[in-house]
Amino acid sequence: MRKRIGEFLYRHQGLEGILYVLPFVSLWAVFLAWPVGYGIYISLFDWNPMRGSKFVGLANYITLFHEPRFWNAFGNTFKFAGMTIPLIIGLGFAFALMVWGWGRTRRGTTAVQAILFFPYLLTVSIVAIVWKWLLDRDFGLVQHTLTSLIPSAPVFLTSTTWALPAIALATAWWLAGYRMVVLQAGLEEIPQDLFEAAAIDGARPRHQFFHIILPLIKPSLLFALVLTIISAFRTFGQVLLMTDGGPGRSTEVLALYLYRVGFDYFQVGKAAAAGVILLFMILLLTLIGVKFLGLKSELQ
Amino acid sequence: MKAWRIIKRYLPYVIMYGIAFLWIIPILWMADTAFKPRPEILTIPPSWIPSHFTVENIQRLFAQWPFGRWVLNSVIVSSFVTLGSLIVSTLAAFSFARLHWRGRDTLFMILLVFMLLPWQVNVIPLFFTMTKFGFLNTYQGVALQMIAMPIGVFLLRQFFINIPKELEDAARIDGCSSFGVLTRVIIPVSKPVFAAFGVYMFNFAWNEFFWSMIVLRKSQMVTLPVGLKLLQGAFEIDYGLILAGAFMASLPSLFVFLLLRRQIIRGFTLAGSGSKG
Repeated sequence: MRKRIGEFLYRHQGLEGILYVLPFVSLWAVFLAWPVGYGIYISLFDWNPMRGSKFVGLANYITLFHEPRFWNAFGNTFKFAGMTIPLIIGLGFAFALMVWGWGRTRRGTTAVQAILFFPYLLTVSIVAIVWKWLLDRDFGLVQHTLTSLIPSAPVFLTSTTWALPAIALATAWWLAGYRMVVLQAGLEEIPQDLFEAAAIDGARPRHQFFHIILPLIKPSLLFALVLTIISAFRTFGQVLLMTDGGPGRSTEVLALYLYRVGFDYFQVGKAAAAGVILLFMILLLTLIGVKFLGLKSELQ
Repeated sequence: MKAWRIIKRYLPYVIMYGIAFLWIIPILWMADTAFKPRPEILTIPPSWIPSHFTVENIQRLFAQWPFGRWVLNSVIVSSFVTLGSLIVSTLAAFSFARLHWRGRDTLFMILLVFMLLPWQVNVIPLFFTMTKFGFLNTYQGVALQMIAMPIGVFLLRQFFINIPKELEDAARIDGCSSFGVLTRVIIPVSKPVFAAFGVYMFNFAWNEFFWSMIVLRKSQMVTLPVGLKLLQGAFEIDYGLILAGAFMASLPSLFVFLLLRRQIIRGFTLAGSGSKG
């Protein structure tokens, strides 16, 4: 009997293939794919599960586009991305070069690598709590040290200009180590004889960097960039816990804005519209990245 | 001349250890604060060495909050997510990599696009979907979308596809069904990638914050990241208590990392470079 089932399935491989993906695909369809469509649907309504919802077309989007607070959050999201992305990729790449380049001849690089990587394993709440405490206006270690070294240093978390950079810094502390290990793996894949050949030809370290390392690490670098873009644009926890969007609304990013609108003010339709905008903005940015990367070739 | 050579030899060490030292300060300061007596936390200038160290903050944490329960919730959710996604992703990845059916590649492309959509941002419709299922304040309410994340299918497929066809053919000739091929050929040779993906998923679930905060609204049901946020909710910020919570919450990660450093970094490298499977 069992053999008969096996034979049947082998002859109808199509059916069998679908059977194997079914558990995953049904979960995916219900909990990831459907909510995207459902979100678009909700965004077209004045949504109220209690009293009944009213179809309003694009009114939620139009309200958003006329709202200064939305544009403020929109701008903050881009400002934050503009700060964290170069910071994370820059530090991650510098660390990777350091650990990789000095690792072969010097001791202790594994410990250094472990320390630089470890913050990534912490949850965003821990990162936010620790940095909020380090930057506390009166008793923060980092804040106090800075103020005593440079008397004119800003008080980060209470400054409308410096609060967002401070959150970006905390985020870089959290994530740079992860980019480091990924890029380090990329560096280790470069064949050693390329460097030997270059050295024989008299290439200086500077030339080796620009003509061997950079071209060969480019795919890993771009991939890290795409991952960092996604995480920067959906930033939420750090902001909520470190400044709660303040002072004023100077650190209110889009994810926090839509959380406020949806779960504090119960303007569900409007929050859904903001969610749709954010989601498709991220998708567009990453698709540009993917096209740039030529990830498609990986499918064949 | 000689001095120059000494500088050149030791400068890399100074830079490297200097950076590592700066990087670890936040962790040390967190631990330091967690063990300070309450009045000595708020001093100007901040001082590393208090009159004595105390576990009073940690006692207060356990007395006032269901901290142990939060740890338990986190362990349950993360294990559920890891196990669940390993099972469904393996089955699906096997089908995408090894079986032939119509629409396979189209469906896979769609999944790939969804991998780039951060579902956490989509909280409003997710919230209503979960409400309909009655999954608010439940473990499955937090876990199910994480199990449905396509990243595992993508990673595992990438690995399965490179397993030589001859191995599969040999098993087929010996009378193995597809399921036999999966359990006797594919799974045994894929242990490293399972470990890597498992580490990735466990950490992801352990640290997930945005969605967990929305779906878990009872203080008994929340996971650690959300619990830590509750500590901050009081009127007067009790830094001793909050930092004790953060410190205790980071201990599991620290222990596991010290034990399995190499495997964890390897796992993340594999999961993070995506295409390099």
